[in-house]
Amino acid sequence: MNKEEKFDFVIVGGGPNGVTLAAYLSKCGASVCVLEERPEAGGGCENTEPIAGVRINPHAMFLYGGAAPGFDQLELWRYGFRGQPNRLGDLTEDVGRGCPTTSGNYPISDIDQMGYAKVSGLLGQPPFIRELLRATFWCPPHPPEVEVTAHNIPYMQVYKKHQPDVWSEELLEMDMFDLMDEYLDTEPFKVQQAVISWYSGAAGHWKGVAIPAWMCNVALVIYSRMTVPRGGMHDYFHAVMRCAVAHGTVVRTCCKVEEIMINDGVAVGVRMADTATCGEKKIWAKKAVISGVDVRQTFNKLVGPQHVDRGLLQKVNDISLKGGSIYVSHILSREPLKVKDKFPGMVGGCYPMDHRDIYYDHVADVDGRKGNPSIPPERAMWLSTPYERFDWSDPQVSRPEGHIMSPIYHLVPPPEYHVDGPDAMNKWKDGMWDYVVKSMSEVYTNLNSDNVIAHWANSPYDSTFRNTGLIGGTWCGTRHCDDQWGERRPIPELARYRTPIDGLYLCNQTACHPGGLFLMAIPYNLMHIMIEDGLVEPGEWWYPSPWYIPEQGKNPAKRQ
Amino acid sequence: MVMEDLLGKTFDEFPMQTDWDAIIIGAGPNGLMTGAYLAKAGARVAVIERRYEIGGGLATEEVLFPCYYSNIHAIYHMMVDYMPAVQDFDLDRHAITWIKPNLQTGMVFEDGSSLLMTRMVEDTVDSMHKFSHKDAVAYGRLIRHWNKMMSDILGPATYLPPVASVDLMVALQRTEIGRELLEVNERSPYDLITSHFENEKIRALLLYSACMWGLDPNETGVGLFVPLLLTRAMSKAYCHGGSHKLAGALAREILRNGGVILEAAQVNKINTQNGNVTGVELWEGRTLNAKVVISSLDPHSTFYDLIGKDKLPKSMDNAFENWLYDKWSYYTLHTVSKEQPKYKCDDPWVNESFMTVFGFENEQDVVAHWKNVMAGKLDKKFGGHATCESFWDEHLVRGPKPAEISFFQMHAPYDIEGGWDKKSGELQEEVLAKWEKVAPNMNRDNIMMTMAETPKDIEIRLPNMRRGGIKHGDYTPMQLGFNRPNIECSSSNTPIGGLYLCGASNYPGGMVTGGPGYIAANKVAEDMGLQKWWKPTPLMDRYLKTYFG
Repeated sequence: MNKEEKFDFVIVGGGPNGVTLAAYLSKCGASVCVLEERPEAGGGCENTEPIAGVRINPHAMFLYGGAAPGFDQLELWRYGFRGQPNRLGDLTEDVGRGCPTTSGNYPISDIDQMGYAKVSGLLGQPPFIRELLRATFWCPPHPPEVEVTAHNIPYMQVYKKHQPDVWSEELLEMDMFDLMDEYLDTEPFKVQQAVISWYSGAAGHWKGVAIPAWMCNVALVIYSRMTVPRGGMHDYFHAVMRCAVAHGTVVRTCCKVEEIMINDGVAVGVRMADTATCGEKKIWAKKAVISGVDVRQTFNKLVGPQHVDRGLLQKVNDISLKGGSIYVSHILSREPLKVKDKFPGMVGGCYPMDHRDIYYDHVADVDGRKGNPSIPPERAMWLSTPYERFDWSDPQVSRPEGHIMSPIYHLVPPPEYHVDGPDAMNKWKDGMWDYVVKSMSEVYTNLNSDNVIAHWANSPYDSTFRNTGLIGGTWCGTRHCDDQWGERRPIPELARYRTPIDGLYLCNQTACHPGGLFLMAIPYNLMHIMIEDGLVEPGEWWYPSPWYIPEQGKNPAKRQ
Repeated sequence: MVMEDLLGKTFDEFPMQTDWDAIIIGAGPNGLMTGAYLAKAGARVAVIERRYEIGGGLATEEVLFPCYYSNIHAIYHMMVDYMPAVQDFDLDRHAITWIKPNLQTGMVFEDGSSLLMTRMVEDTVDSMHKFSHKDAVAYGRLIRHWNKMMSDILGPATYLPPVASVDLMVALQRTEIGRELLEVNERSPYDLITSHFENEKIRALLLYSACMWGLDPNETGVGLFVPLLLTRAMSKAYCHGGSHKLAGALAREILRNGGVILEAAQVNKINTQNGNVTGVELWEGRTLNAKVVISSLDPHSTFYDLIGKDKLPKSMDNAFENWLYDKWSYYTLHTVSKEQPKYKCDDPWVNESFMTVFGFENEQDVVAHWKNVMAGKLDKKFGGHATCESFWDEHLVRGPKPAEISFFQMHAPYDIEGGWDKKSGELQEEVLAKWEKVAPNMNRDNIMMTMAETPKDIEIRLPNMRRGGIKHGDYTPMQLGFNRPNIECSSSNTPIGGLYLCGASNYPGGMVTGGPGYIAANKVAEDMGLQKWWKPTPLMDRYLKTYFG
């Protein structure tokens, strides 16, 4: 090991955001070192094979970021990126089946379809869905001197331009249900959209973020066509990491960072934990240290309270993690799970979508009461994804026998808010398994002990250990509510990825707009800021967001 | 609604047709090794892996799901001192460090006694004196010779193309140690060990250490493997952070030099035209074109499944009909426990050994277990080895603590009486009972999670380990050295133009030596006219000069 190690940029945490940023920075010609404490980089983009020939998805499964500039800016195709769109036909079939409710599949009306299409930007000439997605996610928050209004919020600008009748000042007051009450017609369809968004980290009941929540749904279902990356989310991550490595990024696993070193208020490098496999204990950053680690750990542990004022630290610690902690089950069965006759054609999805009261009951249970589930299992909401929907040439089960249902999601309280303590759900795993079986048996007829070969579960508590970026055991780390979104994510003081410490930037879903889902959005947005600060100069391949507003006195991140 | 019309193209994917200088099938240690050398030499390399993750046997994965990682296949890296890649690639840069503990193997017996095998000879000798002064003295003398055989001949020869046995015999005559090695080679492992050592426990330790990687104790003509494997047994190293780190480092060398790696990509066919390869076809429909294809798979997969019997030259009609896969495989029980196993024996130092062997009281037990495995059965008198992985590597534990990760592994037949579906569960109980007997804290209160991996599972996870064989083919005189996998396909060559082999079914075989991959890289680089940026190690130079100069 070199005695003195210096890189332009040191990135703490080899999750999707940190590594995507490494790809951007090294493509600009900078020297970059990524330090990851787990045996494998990738963060929440992970897959594992707990018994031979059965691959499961502990976290994410779907590609949401199809509209990301990263696909062409980083040329992920060159590094082996391959997708596999839902092979059971496109949306037409899903729409034709209707929404599963306790009384069976409930039909979707023409008004639903037209309303959905209109808000999603599909009815413009030409359709402006991609613009709408990019405006929502792929643009850094406006600088603090700019007053944010219904006229300059990027997605509002897009509506104004392409579908002016959707634009209104009130849109910014709405939650998704309000929006859907205006444009849609069928209650189960509305509930289904809200649930998809909630599982995607942007709940349907949060006021003021109706469009961002809506766009999470659209990003998955329409724009990315329910694509599962070939080889799972981890192999999508591989394409990004390989882009970074090909451009010279040094990625080190099992190298835990103990401290971000601060010298006179400037981040100058990192100190490794004694357990790290690399010998050199300090790695210096010539230009900046970037924390790809969750926002709380960044300030409380890595930077240390001595370098942060008490007021800011309190705000960081108050950032809410509520709003999407998921208990994930995986079931290997002998026979494929069969649906009851009243759900013709159903191959997974969310259930039961009868009425928003069921949805609100879950809000009360998960984020209000904050205990083990008290909703009777027959009314419990869940989402399931049988892998057989996808490309047969990338089988998730390669054992001679078996069918996998993975992941299956149930929303539960975040561990640190659980009224019976953070490990309460873990102590109740057997009980939760019964609950999962009972709730799913409302739809599936053969989820019984004869049919189940094996099952696994990762609770939110497990997630916080396995993957420190998934604080609260949520997909997205911190709540994407109006108080923690856009110019206010995670708190206004940190909204443009800069920190009170010079040379320290944030690049993690918990800390940055627009949050989770591996959209390659945070690194793209952060690039604007790093260009503003004169840290990198990208080549011809770079283009900024059309809605980006440069900060006064900084170097604008426009194409040179 | 047709999405394509509405949205246009959403994102670009890896093209359906691409051109490469060389395609490597299989991203295990050897495929990655070949790829890393060739990519750095300027070849445009594509490595294709069926699994969703590279590494093959270099797999450190969360099989004890959730939260606990295990080295599910290769864990003991025994050729780190000889592997040229360590220096050639400056693996330090990828934060690769190996831990090579002095205390390599502890063996515990039912009567509470124990034996140690250490990296430093004298500690082993001290331990043997408890049982037999004669054996201890003999070991001290013998192991010096055997270490010399390793460092002068067997070690460096691992990374040089195989030599026809006649030529090798002539060459080895040049030195005294070479002549000694030739004598040793005539004998069976059992014969060698029992003729040098008298104590049954010492015999058991040495015979197991020599044969645990699949040498038949009674096979003659493979005796050189005894010094080879015994000295390797003294040189086991743990890749800190897990075996997979080595795969990751080699992969990054490929990527830094312009190569690409595709996972979740099964090769369905190696395309040929007029007896030359033209590329490969993937199951998903993609085609990669190249004039050079290098396979790290077993011979049946490469020649029968991917090339096709009808495309083989006449001379290879029946080339692999009689190829013997290993007669044994492994049954492994992975565990998570609150405490690490604490062995009840006369020497507490055993608890710090990298590997702990139990279940064998004498050399006859080792042979009896072997015979059972050959006969497709297991009785209660089995034995095997265990390692507490988390003792060496805190990175493996990603869940609530205290938690320790261990495994027990034993030889097992691929086809077992009653079938593995039934036998696996029964065997798990027997293993736990036996483990608890020697390490009383390995009881149900302590053990939180288990995961059994049978020979069938090995084959499912890594299908080219046919019949669960970890070396792609048995070590018999007819399948070793220059004969591996056969004379026509020796030295990475094949009779098909542009097709090369770089896997464990070629010399020098399996076990994460990186040998087949390194040798293939040299051969292909020469044939492609690439400038080699690397040089043989000093030990290899000396060996060449001494025996072939």
